[in-house]
Formats: sequence, C-alpha cells, structure tokens
Amino acid sequence: MNPAVPVPLRRLSADARAAILLPLVLFLLLAAFTPGFATAGNLGNLVVAGLPLLVLATGQTVVLITGGIDLSVTAVIGLTSVLGALVMSGDAGWLRGSPAATPVALAVMLGTGATVGLLNGSCIAWLRMPAFMVTLTTTLFMGGLAVWLAQRQVHAESIYNLPAAFLLLGNRPGLAAGVAIAAAAATHLLLTRTLLGRWFQAVGYNPRTALISGVPVGGTVVTAYVLSGMMASLTSILITARLETGSPSHGRTLLLDVIGAAVIGGTSLFGGKGTVPGTAAGVLFLALLSNGLNQLNLSDFFITMVKGAVILMAALLDVRRNRWARES
Amino acid sequence: MSANPTPRHPHPSPCRFIAGLVAVLLLLTGCDPSDPSAGKKSPAVPTAAPGGVRTIGVAFETLQTEFWVAGFDKLKSECKARNITMLEAVADGDAARQFDQVKNFIQRGVDGIILVPKDGKTVIPMIRAANAAAIPVVLYNRPADPTDARHTTVAPDNAAITRETVDYLISVAKRTGRKQKAMILLGDLSDVNALGRRDGFEAAVQAAGDAVDVVARVPTDWNQEKALAGVQSAFQAHPDIGLIFTSSDFMFPSIKSVLSSLGKWRKYDQAGHVILGGFDGDATAYQLMTEGYVDATGVQDVYWEAEQAIQAIVDARAGKAVPARIDDRGFAITQENLKQLAPRMWGAKQPLRP
Repeated sequence: MNPAVPVPLRRLSADARAAILLPLVLFLLLAAFTPGFATAGNLGNLVVAGLPLLVLATGQTVVLITGGIDLSVTAVIGLTSVLGALVMSGDAGWLRGSPAATPVALAVMLGTGATVGLLNGSCIAWLRMPAFMVTLTTTLFMGGLAVWLAQRQVHAESIYNLPAAFLLLGNRPGLAAGVAIAAAAATHLLLTRTLLGRWFQAVGYNPRTALISGVPVGGTVVTAYVLSGMMASLTSILITARLETGSPSHGRTLLLDVIGAAVIGGTSLFGGKGTVPGTAAGVLFLALLSNGLNQLNLSDFFITMVKGAVILMAALLDVRRNRWARES
Repeated sequence: MSANPTPRHPHPSPCRFIAGLVAVLLLLTGCDPSDPSAGKKSPAVPTAAPGGVRTIGVAFETLQTEFWVAGFDKLKSECKARNITMLEAVADGDAARQFDQVKNFIQRGVDGIILVPKDGKTVIPMIRAANAAAIPVVLYNRPADPTDARHTTVAPDNAAITRETVDYLISVAKRTGRKQKAMILLGDLSDVNALGRRDGFEAAVQAAGDAVDVVARVPTDWNQEKALAGVQSAFQAHPDIGLIFTSSDFMFPSIKSVLSSLGKWRKYDQAGHVILGGFDGDATAYQLMTEGYVDATGVQDVYWEAEQAIQAIVDARAGKAVPARIDDRGFAITQENLKQLAPRMWGAKQPLRP
C-alpha cells in the first residue's frame, strides 16, 4: 500500500457518489464567481446542449464497463443522420410526403445504429479483434459512406426540409429532455436491476472468470455494442431534429467529450465499473465547465484546453484507483 | 463458483437519482432558453441604450485559414473602435456546437449576432432562434440557403470573381499556343461559396471552348491534406496538367508541395510553368504572386465585409432598413495589374511569411 495517499481519499475516489458531487461543487463555484451564470435561461441552454452527449455517453458507458471502447459512435451519428434524412426529407426523401416517412426514418436510424453495433461487437467478441481497431475502421467506413450517400442522392452534404413531426424533437426542449432521460434511466435500470447488467460488469472485470461462471461473454459484448450503436442513433435523432438538417458531419467533435464524461463520472477505462448517474454527472460537469468559462468570455481554445486537462486528470485518477484496488 | 460474480458497487438510489434529475432537467428545459426574459440578463454583458449597440456575439465556424483569422481580427478591431464589446465563439466545424453558442449569445442579451455558419442549411434554425429574440443576424461571407428567416448576408459574388480570375488564367493558357489540361480544387460542396467558385470556373471554361480541357476536379472539403493527396493523384493520372485553379488560396502550399516534388514549381516567365490561380487574396497568395509563381487570384475585401457586417447590425438596431444581401464585388488581381491593385488586396497588408 502507498502510505502517501490517505485511505479516506482512496475510499472517496472509489465511491461512485463522489462523481456526482463534482458538478455540484463546480456549479456552486461558477454561480458564486460568474455573473449571469445561475439564471434559468442559461441553465436551460446548458441542459439542452448536454442532452445528446448524455445519450451518447450512456451507451459508451456500457461498452466501457465491458472493457471495450466504441470509437465509431460519431460516425454512426453522421451516417444515421444522412440515412434518416434521405428517407423523410421533403426535398429528396425516398418517402417524401408520406405519413410513414417519420416513423420509417426513425426505425432506419435506430436499425442502422444497431447493425453497426452488431458488426462491431461480432468482430470484437467472435473474431477476437481489438475494439479500438474495429471501431476506428468502422468510423472510416461509415464516415465515407455517409458523405457518399449524401452526395450521390442530393449532390451536397446537407439534407434539408425534414418533416414537422420529426422536428418536434428539436423544437421542444422538454420532449428532447424526456427522451434523453428515459434512455439514460432505462440503461441505468438495465445495469443495476437485471442479470444482463451484472454480466456487463462481470465481463469487464474478468472475461475468463465470467465465462467459467456461465456468462455468455460473446453475446454480452455484442449486446453492449448494439446498445451503444442505438444510443448513437438516438443522439443523431436529437441533433438532426435540432439542426433541422441531415449531415454526415454531425457529432464529429463529440468523441473526446463522450469518453471524458464517462471517465469523469467514474467509469473505468479498464472495464468492470461504471454507472449511468456517474456518467450523467460527468456530462453535467463538462457542460457546466464549457458554459461557465464561456460566460467568463474565455476563448473556445482555452475552454478546449481546460476540458482536455480535466479529462486527462480523470483518466489518471482511474489508473491510480485501479492500482490502489490491486494493492489493497 | 457463483453464477453472479459481480461485486457490488455503491450506487446512489436509482429512483431518487432519476426522479431528481428528471425534475431538475424538465424544470430547466420547460422554460424557453432563447427567451431573454426567462432569466436575468448577464451583468457581464453591457446593455445598450434603445437603438444602440453595446455587445455583438461573433460565432465563426473555424479559424483555420488566414482568411478567417483576418476577418475575425478585423471584426474585433472594428468593435473596439466603435466601443462595442465582442463576445467570441468558434465552433470547430460542429453545427450543433455553433447552435449552442448562438443560444448562449441570445441568452446573454447581445444586440446582434455575426455568424460564419458551418453551412447554408444548419444555420437556418439559428437565425430563427435569433429572430424569435428580436436580435439582428448577419451572415459573414457564407450565405444561408433560401429561407424566410430574417437576416442579412455580407458576401462576395463568388461566381463573378472566379469567372474573372479564370478568364485571365485561360488567356494565359491560350498564349502558350497549345490546349492545356486543367484541374480545379473544389471546396466543401455544402458551402455555397464553394459552389459559386465551382460555377464561376465551369462558366469560364465553357466560354473558352477548346482552349482548356478539365481533366481533374479534386474534392478537398476545405482540407489541405485532402488537397495534397488529390493533386498528387491528378498528376499521376495526367502528368501534363498545365493549369490549376484552387477554390481557396490556403491550398497553395499543397499545390506547391506537389509541383516542387515534380520539378514543376516555376515562375510565370519560366519555361514549364504551371498556370496557377486561386481565390481569397490572402498573404500567401500575395507573396506567391510577388515571387512570380501564381498568375492570378480572386480577391474578396475581407476588411470591407467586416465593416459592413457591423454596420448592418448598428443600422438594424437603429431601425434603419438593411438589405438582405450586401455584395462584396471583389476583383481579380493578376500579374498584369498586381502593382496597381495590390493596395486593395487584404493579403498584401498582412505580414509576409519569412
């Protein structure tokens, strides 16, 4: 044991509830020192801006718990955004004008995310390929496919004129919040109240032990990636509806925030550990940080640097936590 | 062995957590964040007297090229000169992030918003959000797609300036006495500016009849690495390309890299020179023109556009009529009129690279 680090501090760092305190502390600090921060309008903006990240990070948390990583989520957002728009757009949609356009588009978007997840999970679980390599390759393929599809169908990268029924998700922040929170809550219940949730953690702790214990390791890993792909699709739905445009470039800059939110929230990069409330706290922390520093008129470059440093520290803490756990 | 090997972690009570989260989030999102009356206006943002402008939010899609940096700096200095506080934001190519930045400006009660949008479509809901808060919006150098959302665009006539530039390049090609193979480096085709420049190029080529043969149309998505790879591939397929037009001057370094490796980086008065033209009028283009490597470039007046953008907001706030479109007429600067027109080229006023 390393005597330099007091035991209470180690216990605190290992406690999932500590992550939930982080945004609270940051909120109090920003509210005290940042004029105009703690207003209903600003906090409403902050929450609406964080919804896509909440959904995406929730899916990523499940994959991280199994000991994997899904780098393809941003490409899934772009691909499903284009596909959904190609189905329902009033300009170039295959079902333009049809009342079935919106439900079919939603099904196509969610189905595409699930299919990409199935592909990723199958390569990782059954072909024993490294997760980062599989999902990075998928990112390249899906990213290229999205641009090609858009340019082939509409000779541009952006697809406009989406149905009003679909745009409700973008125009009504309460509805978008309800959908995002329902998805996060369902995943939380899945992780904490079901056998599958325990399997995710068992596989992440030690896949060999899990296998000997009767856990269907391959199927569990595949399910985690399917769930992550579907969450990426749901994120795509929220972003596409808000921007009223299908585009392969949606979500391109979210990857670091997604992994960062999960890690800040106490999800271990080594697998076996993580919670949805912790990830939600991580999302809230990053949203508060960006918004608060922005309110202080700091440049975006500075804000990005601070976020990078915070995520790095969270990853470092994760490494330390694992070492302390092994030592004790 | 246990069938349930998972160790238990301390979880907050899920029901309490979720109920609390739902309550807080729905409470917050229930109020319209774009409505400035939903919360107190930030005391950090100076408020304007009726009809006056004290604060402008400026949101750029990117600051990756000399052109955007020059425009951003000019807006900053122009705001300072007019005693206006400028709130700044850069979206790094992410339309969703830009929307959040615009919402943030609205919530902070700015008197006007100047936007360089990611593209012409995703900006429309942003303009609508500003319209709903009665905040004037100016699109700087990148127009929106047709929309009923109220805004003003300050932008160059891309097609006309490109046409003038490429007409000159073709006249140089004709002087060589042989049909030249040509290449265009296209911009991001979701960008109206890129489309205008492509159309101007194609119109000039079509009008020139048999003078040039376009053998490569290289997509770059405004990315230098893509441009480099595209130019390399084009020269592998057509080693005798004799005319290149780039839709933006910031891609000249990629062209120079390929031409240098092929021994074709030569001045306009040297044998084997590849005729080169661009668009923007940045410092790189100016330097390459003074050194004799570039034949012509289409110049847009970035400083004038910045002044007009701010003036449009000031006028809108004062209740004056502001046109929906303010055209930067621009011009083509060539080796023949370089000395005469250089004082009007914004890149000539930027510091030259060592």
